[in-house]
Amino acid sequence: MSSNTASSSAGAAGSGDSSAARKNSKRPKYSKFTQQELPACKPILTPGWVISTFLIVSVIFIPLGVISLFASQDVVEIVDRYDTECIPEPARTNKIAYIQGDGDKVCTRDLKVTKRMKQPVYVYYQLENFYQNHRRYVKSRSDSQLRSPKSENQISACKPEDDVGGQPIVPCGLIAWSLFNDTYALSRNNVSLAVNKKGIAWKSDKEHKFGNKVFPKNFQKGNITGGATLDPRIPLSEQEDLIVWMRTAALPTFRKLYGKIESDLEMGDIIHVTLKNNYNTYSFNGKKKLVLSTTSWLGGKNDFLGIAYLTVGGICFFLALAFTIMYLVKPRRLGDPSYLSWNRNPGGR
Amino acid sequence: MKRFVYINDDEASKELCCDNRISNRKYTLWNFLPKNLWEQFSRFMNQYFLLIACLQLWSLITPVNPASTWGPLIFIFAVSASKEAWDDYHRYLSDKKANEKEVWIVKQGIKKHIQAQDIQVGNIVWLRENDEVPCDLVLLGTSDPQGVCYVETAALDGETDLKTRVIPSACVGIDLELLHKMKGVIECPIPDKDIRRFDANMRLFPPFIDNDVCSLTIKNTLLQSCYLRNTEWACGVSVYTGNQTKLGMSRGIAEPKLTAMDAMIDKLTGAIFVFQIVVVMVLGVAGNVWKDTEARKQWYVQYPEEAPWYELLVIPLRFELLCSIMIPISIKVSLDLVKGLYAKFIEWDVEMIDQETGTASYAANTAISEDLGQVEYILTDKTGTLTDNKMIFRRCCIGGIFYGNENGDALKDAQLLNAITSGSTDVIRFLTVMAICNTVIPVQSKAGDIVYKAQSQDEDALVIAAAKLHMVFVGKNANLLEIRFNGSIIRYEVLEILEFTSDRKRMSVVVKDCQNGKIILLSKGADEAILPYACAGQQTRTIGDAVEHYSQLGLRTLCLAWRELEENEYLEWSVKFKEASSLLVDREWRIAEVCQRLEHDLYILGVTAIEDRLQDGVPETIETLRKAGINFWMLTGDKQNTAIQIALSCNFISPEPKGQLLMIDGKTKEDVSRSLERVLLTMRITASEPKDVAFVIDGWALEIALKHHHKDFVELAILSRTAICCRVTPSQKAQLVEILKSCDYRTLAIGDGGNDVRMIQQADIGVGISGREGLQAARAADYSIGRFRFLKRLILVHGRYSYNRTAFLSQYSFYKSLLICFIQILRFWNQSFQFG
Repeated sequence: MSSNTASSSAGAAGSGDSSAARKNSKRPKYSKFTQQELPACKPILTPGWVISTFLIVSVIFIPLGVISLFASQDVVEIVDRYDTECIPEPARTNKIAYIQGDGDKVCTRDLKVTKRMKQPVYVYYQLENFYQNHRRYVKSRSDSQLRSPKSENQISACKPEDDVGGQPIVPCGLIAWSLFNDTYALSRNNVSLAVNKKGIAWKSDKEHKFGNKVFPKNFQKGNITGGATLDPRIPLSEQEDLIVWMRTAALPTFRKLYGKIESDLEMGDIIHVTLKNNYNTYSFNGKKKLVLSTTSWLGGKNDFLGIAYLTVGGICFFLALAFTIMYLVKPRRLGDPSYLSWNRNPGGR
Repeated sequence: MKRFVYINDDEASKELCCDNRISNRKYTLWNFLPKNLWEQFSRFMNQYFLLIACLQLWSLITPVNPASTWGPLIFIFAVSASKEAWDDYHRYLSDKKANEKEVWIVKQGIKKHIQAQDIQVGNIVWLRENDEVPCDLVLLGTSDPQGVCYVETAALDGETDLKTRVIPSACVGIDLELLHKMKGVIECPIPDKDIRRFDANMRLFPPFIDNDVCSLTIKNTLLQSCYLRNTEWACGVSVYTGNQTKLGMSRGIAEPKLTAMDAMIDKLTGAIFVFQIVVVMVLGVAGNVWKDTEARKQWYVQYPEEAPWYELLVIPLRFELLCSIMIPISIKVSLDLVKGLYAKFIEWDVEMIDQETGTASYAANTAISEDLGQVEYILTDKTGTLTDNKMIFRRCCIGGIFYGNENGDALKDAQLLNAITSGSTDVIRFLTVMAICNTVIPVQSKAGDIVYKAQSQDEDALVIAAAKLHMVFVGKNANLLEIRFNGSIIRYEVLEILEFTSDRKRMSVVVKDCQNGKIILLSKGADEAILPYACAGQQTRTIGDAVEHYSQLGLRTLCLAWRELEENEYLEWSVKFKEASSLLVDREWRIAEVCQRLEHDLYILGVTAIEDRLQDGVPETIETLRKAGINFWMLTGDKQNTAIQIALSCNFISPEPKGQLLMIDGKTKEDVSRSLERVLLTMRITASEPKDVAFVIDGWALEIALKHHHKDFVELAILSRTAICCRVTPSQKAQLVEILKSCDYRTLAIGDGGNDVRMIQQADIGVGISGREGLQAARAADYSIGRFRFLKRLILVHGRYSYNRTAFLSQYSFYKSLLICFIQILRFWNQSFQFG
């Protein structure tokens, strides 16, 4: 660790002219910094301090946890896994062949609303065991190409989905290529339920990352087709499904927004979903789920935060209690040097 | 191995080729980069960082921009390198200044003005008063008719007195003109670094005298970087030049000291590296397995069917890069920075300035401050460290009569003054020995006062005291000493000086009384070095008692003795002495043996007692540091009684009921072994009692104990918190440090004189007191302080702060980087090991 400094300082001393000692005889100036007298404070962890700190933490955390849990409980969520159910009984032995085969893979699902859902009700699709965070996958995009038509040819990062017969693909790369292509049509009591697909992407993505003059080109024209196709007449900034998909998920289980229902759903309503089961998650045993959910001020349904707060608060409360009891039962003098390790066993080192 | 130097012969000396270019530089312009890089990369941590940085250049595996590693890496290397370069540049500048100094030399019989760097071995160099000596010279001539000149050797050994140098006997009487044409050969050892020895021979070629071999000693030399003083001119032939001079050879760079903390950090780094490799292997295998089983099914990733050969390595290497932050690159820079700051804090501390001289503390080694906070043993010198080293003559005992016992100052004792005026022989002889048995040089200052330049404080005290008792040493003119006693001038001719060595523990001069032609031997020395050689009839009991009495008062004693020599005896002996002095091997030992032959049958005149005062705050400092759990050992060259008295007066040991002193002595192996065993037994028994037990050992017993009972002694060293070792030599001091170090104790050695240098260099931390005995110790030390009491602040404030701060900083650095790294490792489980 110190060989460099040591050798150099020793070297300086070695060349050591007699002036070294003389030079340093000049008086150092007094200042609070040089004398290490700057004000400082360091808490001494007395029982009083420790117990009250733990108590304060528990007093703050436990109500916070309760509030978060309540907020999470308020959220109504309907989850429906459909990947297996939407394959006809006879085809289930070879799901991959079915999903890769031609034909209309329409499937219907009925969802029961268990509790009143106030608008807006968000419609998500949830994928599991899908690694959007895979290094090969996540790097395979060209942001500059998405932004402006001038950079159409910047496709070097997009391999292997970069061009078709020398013509660049817009948008290029594995992410765009694997765009999710199941679709959902919802209806209630035979009245179709409007799903608003505008405004589901981030505003900043639409305005800055995806250009409004960039149009899809050569997309899904390669020898293998990945996911959904795009309308070449609509600029990328309006292709919100793509924008949502291209904001890659960090974990293998993720939800992506499909749209919003802008009317309340009453308790007992039956939502009839007609879905087109196109997306292949069968080859890697991925699950597909459709999710309808409201939100609270804390976001979606998630008990984790509340539980975490309650746990920490609970532990702190318990510790405060334990320390108080210990302090009352067996108090110990503060700063007693006889507790120091070298005083406890005399003679030993 | 010998070197032959041909005086004034350009051809013959050519083969010794070495010119006088001094170089203290570590690097040259060309090798700076490779050499510095090589040095920096010899450290494991730096190799590691380089490996990581190189891996990052491979874009297939790097998860981050390579600049994030190369930036800091280049930065820290640049900082270290520029620090080195800056130091080296300054060394270059000072070298250049020395090398380009103009000097006069003789070439082909003509005096020439050349640069110092062009001096060749064998050239004759001329110096004027106050010139710096450019290389090691053998004196040939001086302005003084007797061939004496004076030099100041402060730059070499830190001693500030003037030393006498004489021309070799063969050169006496050669006049100025002939010096230009002088030819001859000097046979001298190959260059070494011993500044106290120069065992060589010289033979002049005809027409200069016969070809008699003339022996040379260090007294005939002018060594590089000394200054010529009080002498109009001097000339000499260069024997060692450039980096081969005594100074150049002894320069060497001291081995860097590694602190306990550094060793710990290195160990920790190693352990983390192993852990990292394990993590990388596990994750790498998991990643590869996952890729082969699962990843092929993930159509959206489009794995290629064919993979290059290195595919298997890619995933582990990526993990290696991601885990590389486990060993923080910043720790090196931060530690270097804060350590520099600790050193500055020590230098800035106004409470550690010696008010008397205005010297601030100085940290020569910036890298070991935190070790100060972990000191377990302090080994301290006595004279000049615990005491002031201001010697004052207090009492004496002449012919069995004690002077100065009533008022504590013999100089004011009426009885003694009476004895002087009445002309008592013993007293006058006693004063004569005090005045001339020494190597002091009296210098007449401008105001007409006489100032003494003495090598040792004791001699200084004696000469000054003699002067106050009307025996004034007025002048020294070559071999002629002048003494003024009661208004009359007495002259003595110095025939021989039998020098003081730490083995002989005495010094003598042989003088000839110019009045009556009698030859007298005057000796002074430690009691055990003088009393055994007293003449048969004399009772040494009273003298022994006096020594005992004085040392119990904490005074330093010297016995003075006298003997008249027969002319024959002297002449006979003188031949042997010359023979011994011209030996090339074992000279010192042989001289000691020859001296022994003259120093016997001495008539003991009396004992002098010199007070050596304690420094301020010594007892308090020792007590405070004791309370902090630090053990003290006192290592001194002084007598046992004196050492114990000083130890008592400065709280080093406690008096009887509370403390106990255990002596280890004996002259034979059996005695020492028995006494060592007894002490060890007592130590074991009293280990649990709250009693201050200390052992006392002298140099002789120590040597036996270390040789034959090393293990027992080590056990004793571990058991005892206090020890007094008296009569120990510098190398024994270093040996004791070594023993404590081998038991894994952190040792601090503190001292002020040249005899402490080895101990200071040996210890984990060396502290020098920039005191009166010169700067030698302070220069060799890691820290130099003005007074002993500053040690308290140095250890308890600076040491503690430094230790706590470094501990916090390094622990925090590792904690921080491990934390970041563990977050990533946990994430890999969610990323199917493919992100990395």
